Amino acid sequence: MGGTARYLLGRLGFYLLAAWVALSLNFLIPRMMPGDPATVMFARFQGQLSPEAMDALRETFGLSDASWWSQYWTYLRHALVGDFGTSVAYFPEPVTGVLLRGLFWTVVLAGSAVVVAFAAGTLLGTLAAWRRGGWLDSVLPPVLALLGAFPYFWLAMLALFVLGFGMGLFPLRHAYSDQLTPGLSPEFLASVFRHTLLPALTLVAVSLGGWMLAMRNTMIGVLGSDFIEYAHARGLAPRRVMLAYAARNAILPNVTGFGMALGFVLGGALLTEIIFSYPVQGYLLIQSVRAQDYPLMQGLFLTISLAVLAANWFVDCATVALDPRTRR
Amino acid sequence: MTRILLVGALVAAILTPACAEPAMEPEPGVLVVSREQVGSWVRNFNPLLAGGLARWPTRGGIYEPLMVHNPAQGAWTPWLATGFTWGEDVTSLSFSLREGVRWSDGEAFTADDVVFTFDLMKKVPAFDTQGHWRYLRSVSAPDPQTVQFAFARPFVPGMEKIAHQVIVPRHVWESVEEPVSWTNPDPVATGPFTEVRRFDHQVWELGKNPNYWMDGAPKIEALRFPAIPSNEQATIALMHGEVDWAGNFIPAIDRIFAGRNPEHHRYWFPNFGGAIFLYPNHTVGPLKDARVRKALSRAIDRDKVVQVAMYDYTSPADVSGLSDGYAQWRDEAALTEDPWTDFDPAEAARLLDEAGLPLGEDGLRRGTDGQPVTLELSCITGWSDWVRAAQVIARNLQGVGLDVSVKSYDFGAWFDQLQRGEFALSIGWASYGPTPYGFWVGAMSSGSMFPIGEVAPQNWHRFSDPEADTLLAAFERTADPAEQERIAHALQARFQATAPLLPLFLDPSWGEANTTRFTGFPSAENPYSRLSPNHELEFLHVLTRIAPREPVVAEGN
Repeated sequence: MGGTARYLLGRLGFYLLAAWVALSLNFLIPRMMPGDPATVMFARFQGQLSPEAMDALRETFGLSDASWWSQYWTYLRHALVGDFGTSVAYFPEPVTGVLLRGLFWTVVLAGSAVVVAFAAGTLLGTLAAWRRGGWLDSVLPPVLALLGAFPYFWLAMLALFVLGFGMGLFPLRHAYSDQLTPGLSPEFLASVFRHTLLPALTLVAVSLGGWMLAMRNTMIGVLGSDFIEYAHARGLAPRRVMLAYAARNAILPNVTGFGMALGFVLGGALLTEIIFSYPVQGYLLIQSVRAQDYPLMQGLFLTISLAVLAANWFVDCATVALDPRTRR
Repeated sequence: MTRILLVGALVAAILTPACAEPAMEPEPGVLVVSREQVGSWVRNFNPLLAGGLARWPTRGGIYEPLMVHNPAQGAWTPWLATGFTWGEDVTSLSFSLREGVRWSDGEAFTADDVVFTFDLMKKVPAFDTQGHWRYLRSVSAPDPQTVQFAFARPFVPGMEKIAHQVIVPRHVWESVEEPVSWTNPDPVATGPFTEVRRFDHQVWELGKNPNYWMDGAPKIEALRFPAIPSNEQATIALMHGEVDWAGNFIPAIDRIFAGRNPEHHRYWFPNFGGAIFLYPNHTVGPLKDARVRKALSRAIDRDKVVQVAMYDYTSPADVSGLSDGYAQWRDEAALTEDPWTDFDPAEAARLLDEAGLPLGEDGLRRGTDGQPVTLELSCITGWSDWVRAAQVIARNLQGVGLDVSVKSYDFGAWFDQLQRGEFALSIGWASYGPTPYGFWVGAMSSGSMFPIGEVAPQNWHRFSDPEADTLLAAFERTADPAEQERIAHALQARFQATAPLLPLFLDPSWGEANTTRFTGFPSAENPYSRLSPNHELEFLHVLTRIAPREPVVAEGN
């Protein structure tokens, strides 16, 4: 068991190093964009801003002309305690506040969509491979691959237009009804469910095929192995062979993919937000880039990179649990 | 077994269209507005930190100015002030304030509040976005109904800036320690709407001011703002009748919006605002020569630009560069002297020949160095109307032998280059105000000139004209309308003679209304203001006039 712990600690060290690199790139990349936040900010005034006020505003927004090194050290120190400063685009709100607002709904929408797509896709893939050539195996993969091949925004817009606007089956926007006050009341939760359903379904529809095909293909490979023959020969129940023997081995690549997908969730379903007006983080990202809002961009990118790293660490742990070979 | 479960789950998922939310009508008297496109709302009602950080309608609907200019009427409407008088040598200006105005918390509004607001801007330069303290010396209140502005130098355009300054209450703001970063969550103000009834990330509501000074206004109970992040979503909400008032660009609006409900879906896109220009950088190659600039202008088919880029929603601009809203300042007679905004490629070719840019054998014009004249026309990625306009213009200019290519930049990069003067040709807006003074300053004054490489707030093309400087200085010193008009005509003549910018088309004002539940919106038949909510302060006219269609049962509030 000591080996396992050492292995996991080693991975953790690697991720810490990666986090530092991400943190630094995070600082550098926005600053390499042409233009600066002040310029964009002042564009809102259409050239009618007095130069004195321009200087005063620059100072207010903390757009210092200090050297990159000193900015970098301040940034690192503050990042360690979770302080990303004040957003320029949403002045005077602190970046953490802006981030937290979108984060919750991101987890609700994109998180549930990824979990559902992963679970359903993996299960469908298992079944399709187990009954190879059955109706599930011959109908679903091409249909799902077709769905997945559509550009997401087009599919989502079509769904919104036909199901929401045309047939009135789903709400057209937002995460819950505007008539309700957020809380834990049954009406509110039902409203959240209703509003999340269509955007989540579109997200699931485009990603389901990927999970299913990956699972099915690995599973078919595993099913051809000798140990599956042996398990059958031992007279084990077919379901036990399917789940505990074949699926457990075939799921490893999907688990790795799941970690990545879970990490990317925090980037927000950008197009979903724009099409369904769902208040997730994606729109913040666009807006912060447009406004060259360095503090907000740093906060956002850091959340995303840390989420990807954390998800990978958990995948490492899961792999250790699932695959005894990694424990050596 | 598993299969049955799965199929059952799928069927359940498909049949869940119990999901449809019962369509809920907003309460009567609550006007739903789509003005700012955001993903979620941030509670900020600080009116002094201008530039789009505070929620609409903080500047105007919540905090009011002394007077409101109305381009549709070409006139000033007295608001918190009833009028103004200039002192003898136009270095002092006094406003008399309206009697009986109260702040929403019941306190009386007095000259003290006006003096405090201006002094606050002196103390906090970040608030003085208009640069009031570049021409003001002091502000005082000789009596509670009068405010006296002493000028450091004669500066008549200062009146417009002072009249449009929104006023904050002294009794609230004097105890605010960090006014710049204060979000002012519960505003105390004089405007028609001051009570924040609810504030969520998705929707917020602003109720009417219980102490509003204008008799019988506002006639509506509250404004409601759902968060709508994109133009497409806003259009769907308008089509669906979920939004009563909006200021969006909508393509093919007759079919998409008006046609769906001809009785109640109204729009009005008047051209009372500014204009959109082609900026030629005067420091780049042959563009320094007015003949070349006029030739470029003559080569552009503006009707085509308006048709292709702007869906025919607007009309081409003329040589004055002044819109319909400046009718009183325009010298109509002078427009026909040298109409270099008329499409005339033959004349364009003649001017280019005259300017010493001969046509080479390959069909390209040669500069003085014998090389083909190549110019890049910059525009902004994603601003599809401007991109289409740029493509038409580039094709037109290629037609007279100029090698012009369109290049799109990200907004930040584009604006940075523009301000630093590091571009050849670009589409751009120009300053717009109650008089064309600001436009002329930006177009041809030495005061707005900055060297290449430095950030210039306006005058991106880098041009100054000594005659225009003299005229602008004279304009700053006279409050006499006849004299102002004479100088304005002379400035227009200078603009036409020098062609510093090439006017393309008038900037339309986007405004849509759904009259199912409300009446009294402005229209071409009733043009008391522009319909669009996008024009700061001007929308006060609309907010105080629109009324619910059926009488609202008063709620005890």
